Amino acid sequence: MKLRVIRGIVIIAGAVLLHGCAAPQPSQDLLAPTDAQMKIRTVQTRTFDVKDRQAAMRAVIAALQDLGFIIERANEPLGLVTAARFAEPNYYDVVGVTVTVRQESDDRMMIRANAIYNNKPIEDPKVYQNFFATLERSLFVTRP
Amino acid sequence: MRRWRIMASGFLLASQLSGCVQPTQPEALFQLMPESAAHRAMQTRLFETKDERELLSASAAVLQDLGFQVEESVREVGFLRAAKERSAREHGQDLTRFFIWIFSTPLLFLQQPPFMMPVDLHQKIAATLVARPLNTESTRQEIRIVFYRVVWKGEGMSGNQQIAPGEQRMEMVRDPGLYQQFFAKLSKAVFLEAYTL
Repeated sequence: MKLRVIRGIVIIAGAVLLHGCAAPQPSQDLLAPTDAQMKIRTVQTRTFDVKDRQAAMRAVIAALQDLGFIIERANEPLGLVTAARFAEPNYYDVVGVTVTVRQESDDRMMIRANAIYNNKPIEDPKVYQNFFATLERSLFVTRP
Repeated sequence: MRRWRIMASGFLLASQLSGCVQPTQPEALFQLMPESAAHRAMQTRLFETKDERELLSASAAVLQDLGFQVEESVREVGFLRAAKERSAREHGQDLTRFFIWIFSTPLLFLQQPPFMMPVDLHQKIAATLVARPLNTESTRQEIRIVFYRVVWKGEGMSGNQQIAPGEQRMEMVRDPGLYQQFFAKLSKAVFLEAYTL
C-alpha cells in the first residue's frame, strides 16, 4: 500500500520534472497582424495630393524642425527621415520619430510616421493627428 | 477644531503632491508651441540664390572652419549633420565644487567624508543643417541650422557614496550669438546677404 503511494508520487514527480524540459512552443500567430496593429497603422498613415516625392520629404523635414526635432538621419532613395527630441522641459526622456514617404500613385504620396517615447511606441492617435496637422501646413502653406 | 486639523493636513498633502512634476505629454510635443516661431526665426536665414548645392557645400565649409566634423550628408534633401567634441570644464563650476567641499568639511566630525560635487567634464556640440528652396522656381533658399549639446559629468562623492562619472545631460543651444556667428560666416562665404524671416 505504502509502496504504491510512493511509486505514484515518484511517477508524478518525474512527469512534472520532465514537463519542465519541454521548451514552450512559439505560438503560430506571433507575427500575424492583429486588429490593434491594423488600427495603429491607419492612424500613423496618411496620403496627400503631392506629386514630387523630394518636395514631400523636404516638407517632412521642415515640419519636424518646426516641432523642435533634431534630424538625425535622412535617406532620399528610401524616403526615410529619422528625428528625435527631448521631452522638454525634462531632458531625460527622448521622443523619436521615423517618417517614411512613399509614392502611392502618380499624384498621391503616402506618408507614415512612427513615434516612440523612450522605448515605448506611442499609440495615442492625438499625437499623429498633431503631427500631420503640422505637416499639412508645411506641405501646402507657401511661405514668403 | 478637528475639522481644522483635517483641512490643514489636506493642504499639506496637496502641497506635497504639487511638487511632483508632470512629465510632458507626448501629444504636446507634436504641436507647435508659442516659442516655436521665435526659435525658427533665430535658426533660419534666407538667401537669394538658385544654387542650393553651393550653399550646402559652403555651409559644410563654414562648419569645418568652426571646428565641426561633418558626420552625415544627404544632398538630395539638402541635409548636413556635424559635431565636435570639446572639454566642458568651467571655472565657475570648479569654484562651486571647492566651496561646497570646504563647507561640508565639518562632516568629518561625524566621520563622513565631505561632499564632492560632480562637474561637467566633456561635451559634444552638434549641428543639423537643412537647406531648401522656398519657391517653385527655387530662386530663394532657406538655411535652417539647429545646435545642441551633450554634456558628460565627471565623478563626485556624496557621503560614502561614490558618484560614478559618465552621467549625461543634453540641451538645445538657444544662444542667438552662436547662430548669428554661423550665418555671418556663411553669408561671407557665398558672397550673399542673409535675410532674416
